[in-house]
Parts: sequence; structure tokens; C-alpha cells
Amino acid sequence: MAGIDVGGGHGGKKSLNHDIPLIPFIDFLLCLVAFLLVTAVWSQMARINADAKVPGPPRPDEPDEVKPEKELHVEMRGERKFQLVWKEGATVINTIDIERKQVNMGNEGDYRYPALAEKIVAEWKANGSHRAANDKKLDRAVLHTDNSTPFSDVVAVIDAVYEPQRDFQIGAKTEKIPAFNLTFSVN
Amino acid sequence: MSGTKPLSRFHQPIAVPGRRLVHHVPLKFVQKKVGGGGQRSVNQEIPLIPFIDFLLCIVCFLLASFSASGELPVDKNVKLPKAQNVMDMTDAPIVAITGTQILVDGTPAGSTRTVEEANRLQRIDELFNILKNKRELWKQVNPGKEFPGVALLQVDRRVSALVVKSVFQTAAMAGFPGISFEVGRLGKPGGGE
Repeated sequence: MAGIDVGGGHGGKKSLNHDIPLIPFIDFLLCLVAFLLVTAVWSQMARINADAKVPGPPRPDEPDEVKPEKELHVEMRGERKFQLVWKEGATVINTIDIERKQVNMGNEGDYRYPALAEKIVAEWKANGSHRAANDKKLDRAVLHTDNSTPFSDVVAVIDAVYEPQRDFQIGAKTEKIPAFNLTFSVN
Repeated sequence: MSGTKPLSRFHQPIAVPGRRLVHHVPLKFVQKKVGGGGQRSVNQEIPLIPFIDFLLCIVCFLLASFSASGELPVDKNVKLPKAQNVMDMTDAPIVAITGTQILVDGTPAGSTRTVEEANRLQRIDELFNILKNKRELWKQVNPGKEFPGVALLQVDRRVSALVVKSVFQTAAMAGFPGISFEVGRLGKPGGGE
């Protein structure tokens, strides 16, 4: 048992030595550990971002001519292939076809498109506009899907679009974030 | 010992042979020890201080990772897809899309059938009104603060892209342009996150 010895206790004075009751303290700690373990949340949930920001009305301080930025359009309409199209405004810069080859992950029906992810990484390295950690803007990707495409397929393609990662400075620290900001095509 | 003659070796009484070394030391506790009389102490001290330190470390770790709000509830009719390149969860209004209906924080906000039957991208009015009200309420509660405009979509993996895009567009129109899709976490091939 732990104790505090401060001397004294002589000459008829009350002793100043005290025993700290360690056993109840340990019991209390064990109860706390048990409670926290029982209520702990071992979450497997996560999220993937999509951006629906639409251009608003022009502001007075905005320059008249804004140079259109390069955008990566991901076409997933075909059954056999994906199409990556780099566009600058309405001008098509480059078109790349990739075989639609899905790889199953686990036995719950999840799958990915690693070939598409690999190609998107290579394309961003070659053509991405926003790479510096202090650049607050992200490159933009637009996803074109059929109306009947199941959501699981859409997520597999979004996952591939988010494969290229870049440094992003938030205050003093730098974090890794997806290089693209994805939105959906409405037509 | 004094004047008596010692017995011959054949007349000595039989005795149990014991330890002989260090017997000449004239100290009681030494003789007791070397004679085998000293027993090992049965009392043991448990090192309580390191044990308490260990418990405190566990408590600190568990408290740091403690979430008072608990797990975000997933509608039982929604089976989420999984992805690898994901972000941590955030606190935002939850729009659940099951095979048949759309719910905002558990409140019905439209039907997926209506959208599928129309077969075109459209604004879902019920959902729009509920989200708009949520936005207004947030602004009243937090005056002067910038509205984050983030909504979390829990979409069943079988739901068609048309419904997802309609909900996406409706949410953006209602002032929630930052949409996040809730997904399961898929392990990376290397084992990292």
C-alpha cells in the first residue's frame, strides 16, 4: 500500500503519515476502462466527397475574362471501356480509352477499377494544374454516367478518381488529400 | 563435548545428514538459513504503481477516442458500397436513399419510385423544402456564421444514378453544395488506410 511519510508523529502530535487507498482507486480505474471499452465505437464508416458548387452571378471585382481551366471528364457510359477526356472549356485536348476491367474486393460484391485508377494517377501527374501544397484549389473532374448505372458502380469510379493524392497545407500542417474535386454531369 | 570420549564411528546415533557448510558462524539467523530452517517468505509485493500507470494510459487512450454521439445510424434498408480513398466522417444532415424512399434524418422526404418513373433528372420538392428549412434553422441558431452546406448521403448500392443525381442536384439547390457519400472503408492492398 502506498503511503505518504512526512515525518512527525512524535511528542503526542497526530501522525501526518497517510496511506493512499490504492485498491479502491484501481477498482475505479478498472470500472472506467470497462465502461469505455463497452461504449467504444469501432467505426468502419467513411465518406467520399463530391462537389455541387455551381457558378454564381458574376461579382463586380471579378475579371471579365477568366481563363478556363483544364477539367478531366470521366465517361462511364460504355459497357466495355471508360473514356478520359481532358477539356479546357469546350475544347477537347486529349481523349484516352481504358478497358473497363473490374477487380472484386472481398465477398460482399464490392469491386474496384485499378486500371482506371492507375491511368488517372498518370494523367494527373502529366496534366494536373494544382499541385503545390499551398494551392487551395483542386483540379476538377466531371463524372458522366448513365441514369441506370447502380450506385456501387458510381462509387467504384469515384474511388478511382480519388486515387491521385496531393499535399494540402492546412495552417501549419500538411495533409494528403485527393487531387481531384469531383462533380456530376447533369446531361 | 568437554571430557567425554567421542563415540566410535560405529556407535554414533543415526542422524539425517544435513548441510554442513558455514555452520561454524555463531549467528542464529545464519545457522537457521544454512540449516534449511529458513523458509522463503510467502508474502509477495505486487508492483501497484506501474499497474496504475498502465491503467491510466488505457483510460487516457479510451477517453481520447471516446465518441459521445456514437456510431452514425445507417438505415437498415441501406447497404453501403465500400471504397479505398476515403475521408473521416463529419457531422452533417443525413439523407438516406433506400430502394423505395428518401429520408432526411429519419423523416420521409420523397420517393425514389417517382424519380425513376419520371426517368429524368428533377428537383425533389419534399426533400428541397426539408433541406431548405434545415438551412434556415441553422442560420437562425448560428447568426453571423458561415453555413457549411454539407450533407451526408447514405445511398443503397443498388440505387440508380438517376436518383442519386436528382438528390445531389436538389441538395445543391437547397443550399447544400458540399455532398459527401457515406461508404464503408475498404482496406488498401498494402494494409494501410
